[in-house]
Amino acid sequence: MTKTDLYKGYREPLLSLMKKNDVVVWSEIRARTREGVFEGLVLPRSETSDAEHLVLKLTSGYNLGLRYDTIESMEEIGYREAHYKVPEKKFPFDPAKPKVKLFGTGGTIASRLDYRTGAVIPAFSPGELYGSVPELADVCNLETEKLFGVFSENMGPEQYLVLAEECGKAIREGYQGIVIGHGTDTMHHTSAALSYMVQDAPVPVVMVGSQRSSDRPSSDAARNLIAATRAAAHGDIAEVMVCMFGPTSDRYNLLHRGTRVRKMHSSYRSTFRTLGDIPLAMVNDEGILPLKDDFRRRRDDRDVDVRAVFDDRISLQYYYPSMKADVIDGLIDRGYKGIVIAGTGLGHVNRLVYPALRRARAEGVVVFMTLQTLWGFVQMHVYETGREILELGVVPLANMLPEAAFIKLGWALGMHPDRPDAVRKLMTTPIAHEILSREPHDGYLVFQGGVPEIKGFLEQEWK
Amino acid sequence: MSQNDTSKTSVLTPPSDLNPRLDCPLDFRDRSWTAMSPADYAELGFIAGLEVHQQLATQTKLFCRCPSGQFTKDCDAEVLRHMRPTLSELGEYDGTALMEFKTHKEIVYRLHRGTVCTYEIDDTPPFEINEEAVRIAMEVSELFDLNLVNELHVMRKQYLDGSIPAGFQRTAMVGLTGSIPFRVPELGVDRILRIRQLSLEEDSCREVSDVGHRITFRTDRLGIPLTEVVTEPDFLTPLEVQAGARLVARTTRCCPRVRRGPGAARQDVNVSIAGGRRVEIKGVSHHRGLPRLVHNEAFRQLNLLRIREELLRRGVTDAALRIPEDGLAWERSQLVADVSTLLTSCDYQPLRDALDSDGRVIAVRLPGFGGLLTHRTQPGVTFAAEIADRVRVIACLTGRPFFVHSDIIGYGLHSREWTQVRKALRSKKGDSVVLVWGETRDVDTAAREILLRAQDALVGVPSETRQSYPNGTTGFERILPGANRMYPDTDTPPLALPDAWREEIRARLPERPWSRADRFRKRGLGLEAAQRLANSPWADLFEALDFPDAQTARRVEAAMQKRLRLHLRTSEGRLPTADRLQAWVEAIANGALRPEAIEVALDRLCGEPLLPPSDILASLQPHEGDERALAALIQRCVAQAPTLRRREEDSVMRWAMGEVMPPLLGRVAPAEVQRRLQEALADGDQEVQR
Repeated sequence: MTKTDLYKGYREPLLSLMKKNDVVVWSEIRARTREGVFEGLVLPRSETSDAEHLVLKLTSGYNLGLRYDTIESMEEIGYREAHYKVPEKKFPFDPAKPKVKLFGTGGTIASRLDYRTGAVIPAFSPGELYGSVPELADVCNLETEKLFGVFSENMGPEQYLVLAEECGKAIREGYQGIVIGHGTDTMHHTSAALSYMVQDAPVPVVMVGSQRSSDRPSSDAARNLIAATRAAAHGDIAEVMVCMFGPTSDRYNLLHRGTRVRKMHSSYRSTFRTLGDIPLAMVNDEGILPLKDDFRRRRDDRDVDVRAVFDDRISLQYYYPSMKADVIDGLIDRGYKGIVIAGTGLGHVNRLVYPALRRARAEGVVVFMTLQTLWGFVQMHVYETGREILELGVVPLANMLPEAAFIKLGWALGMHPDRPDAVRKLMTTPIAHEILSREPHDGYLVFQGGVPEIKGFLEQEWK
Repeated sequence: MSQNDTSKTSVLTPPSDLNPRLDCPLDFRDRSWTAMSPADYAELGFIAGLEVHQQLATQTKLFCRCPSGQFTKDCDAEVLRHMRPTLSELGEYDGTALMEFKTHKEIVYRLHRGTVCTYEIDDTPPFEINEEAVRIAMEVSELFDLNLVNELHVMRKQYLDGSIPAGFQRTAMVGLTGSIPFRVPELGVDRILRIRQLSLEEDSCREVSDVGHRITFRTDRLGIPLTEVVTEPDFLTPLEVQAGARLVARTTRCCPRVRRGPGAARQDVNVSIAGGRRVEIKGVSHHRGLPRLVHNEAFRQLNLLRIREELLRRGVTDAALRIPEDGLAWERSQLVADVSTLLTSCDYQPLRDALDSDGRVIAVRLPGFGGLLTHRTQPGVTFAAEIADRVRVIACLTGRPFFVHSDIIGYGLHSREWTQVRKALRSKKGDSVVLVWGETRDVDTAAREILLRAQDALVGVPSETRQSYPNGTTGFERILPGANRMYPDTDTPPLALPDAWREEIRARLPERPWSRADRFRKRGLGLEAAQRLANSPWADLFEALDFPDAQTARRVEAAMQKRLRLHLRTSEGRLPTADRLQAWVEAIANGALRPEAIEVALDRLCGEPLLPPSDILASLQPHEGDERALAALIQRCVAQAPTLRRREEDSVMRWAMGEVMPPLLGRVAPAEVQRRLQEALADGDQEVQR
């Protein structure tokens, strides 16, 4: 153990007190305090907690904190070092079942809690997964590969490129489906990136995450993994998709298109929704039920068109009243090559921004318009403002979601460096349903709670 | 440094579930709890401890802002969940967790918008812990003289039975290691009751129904803050358990900010006897039934230990009851057979129904168990019920009945059919055979569970939580969870408890019943009366009165004890003021009020609030003209006496006293009235005989 591990997380004033009393992390101690005598195991202290309390685990399993200035004496009476390890069970091989590759990127789906410290630790090998979700063996022969160990917010272009290349490789190696475990916060960014970068794949590429970590009995992780591997191994939809809970109940999962999906609630299990369209399919214990039929079907070949490029000199600007030109000017000054605006209503910004838009066009910085309303189409001919903004060279992106547009812009700039016209053309050409020609009547459904018909629906159906 | 010293090992271990004594008195005679002395329980090695749950009277719940303590059966929506066991730090599944998973239960939560939000259904992380609840828990900890922690750490305690949608209860340790005086004069108890700990936790759901693979819960109670006070196993008889439960409840309720009323307090009781182990009986809401309940548990353990002894004597081993874990039980082991086809012409109706609806009938052989299935474990309950209970809970069999066994002769099957079944199992003399029926997956689980319970019979008393029934018996609820079901809640930061809070709480800590009782004893009351008074609603009223001497205090306490409870019931809880009672106390002290008028005076002081106390007291003291009134009343009695001639002399006198005394209560000495009546009635009799 290194010196810092001995006192993991502890700082002054407790550090000297521990040293003076010959007590370290994992010591079993008897502490005499102003309150009375406490016995327990010294646990590491979280770096983000204060420096004043010593954490003890009691034999009952409870933890508590003792403040340094109440401690009169401490005595080490035993020692018990704990290392948490997920048990591994060999993943069984069945020649009759399809071979699926599971890539790990990090996030809640691939982590477990260290019972002693509360720290989240990665758990990912096939053996570990089989140990905790044995049902996976009924679905497919699973092979796993850990590409990164990062939470959602640290996923970015660098990872998109690796992931796209790895998907291409796995397809060429003959895997019959790909599952990607991912943190949920930016899963829709990554799913959009893969939708553009991995084109014409012959097998499903299914992204999956979880909203409740698998150390919780009510976790959605196991069900999500089972549904995702089922879609990857047996589904007929060969597209980049996100597979997450349909309702909050344990009933079925939905397969969402990578460019039309968005995380819509900070904590609900059913947080992912398809916007402006309906989901591709439902997945439950019985199988996969397609809801649409315009999808690319599974093929037997191993051909795939991987276009892993990205230019990260791009920005997504959420317009707000009184926004000034300097925000855009700042980006141009710093060498940004493209900007996506999430505008109000049908796609508007105020006049104060116009000079910056004019300058952007002059300096070859491409600017695109999407919507804060998320649903609906950009329509810049209806009002004068829209027409003025069009005049300034801002390109409307129909009903592309702001995040899908932002990712596509990075990819398009990577595809056509220093060719603004080509970038504009690519941006307005649908690649993976990021732009739809029409919005179905049920592509926009945000239930209004409390009204009688929805109350009736919730009582009767949404169980 | 210690970390390099490899000889250092762990010394801290959780309290053992085993009873400290291993020698079970197997020949102890079964008897009812009323026929048992404390020495008998000592011979049995009986010990018990309590876990007392008390809801707190906060505005909102513990981890969200939903209103606390609002109850409804209305339902706006339902959510469906499943629970999966999670691995412990040792890479093993907790026994309870695994059991709950085996049940393949669909868990349905009924939601009402007024009482739950997205937190309770585990779709939103917890908000900050309710500070009001923390302060109340600290106050209750102080009442039990517990050592308060400096920093609260919220933990997750796993429950896979579905009673909490998250699959765990959030709970935090507030105080440890305290004690309170445990004095029960009527039981001869005067010692210390050790309190192990107090935790602050959220309440669980209420079960609405549990049918087959679907269990339904109501969520209105979910998330209400409660304190759990855990005692050491210091109770040595069932009556002590009851007295202890009352003491803990009273001590907790010294804090005014706890909820009252039905369901606001519940207790679990842990029981073991020598050679047995801790069994937890859950959710007992009344103190009255406790003695019989824990007594029955003691004898259940004794009988399970007898069964164990007999099995060991017969040479039954654990290995003989094991079957492979994979596949269907009847395909993998000779202890189990599918006898559906053998019994196609069976006329036993429950079994017929199962076969008619495509169910299977499975036979399980229990080698060496012959005759033991009918061994009695509880009043009216046999060992077979121990097995059936577990099968019902874990395999979710819904048929009624779903189970017969060969130890009851001539029941269920015809003897010819039993013979066929025995043959299919290659059963020997001295084996028992159990039949279960239902769906394939369920009877597979059932067969395995029967064998697991049979293996447990060799251990004696399995670690279980049991539910209590109104008749004083208990039934299997689940396997007692291990210590590994507790882990830190990463959603909530530790909360430092400021010294200022604790000082504030200590400064205005309510007086505890025992120190109040001590004060009452100094006024001259006996221990029993002092404790009784300290726990009564009129303790404040008593305290506000002045007593010139100890005897008056004793008389006043006795009168209050006899009359005020009744008065409270009829007067919406209103008691008279001390001012109104002071003249009464003085009249008792100086002898102006005769002893027989004390209680009547109190009744009237309470019941006639508009009448001045002096008038009431005066009407109960001697008057001019009392002699004339007495003579007239006696005269009337003598006149009516002939109609009662054939009655016993005593009953005539009782009747006559009842006629004469009430109007003259307090005014004439009862002995004098009786003497005069005797004379007058004797005279009257002579006249009639003449």
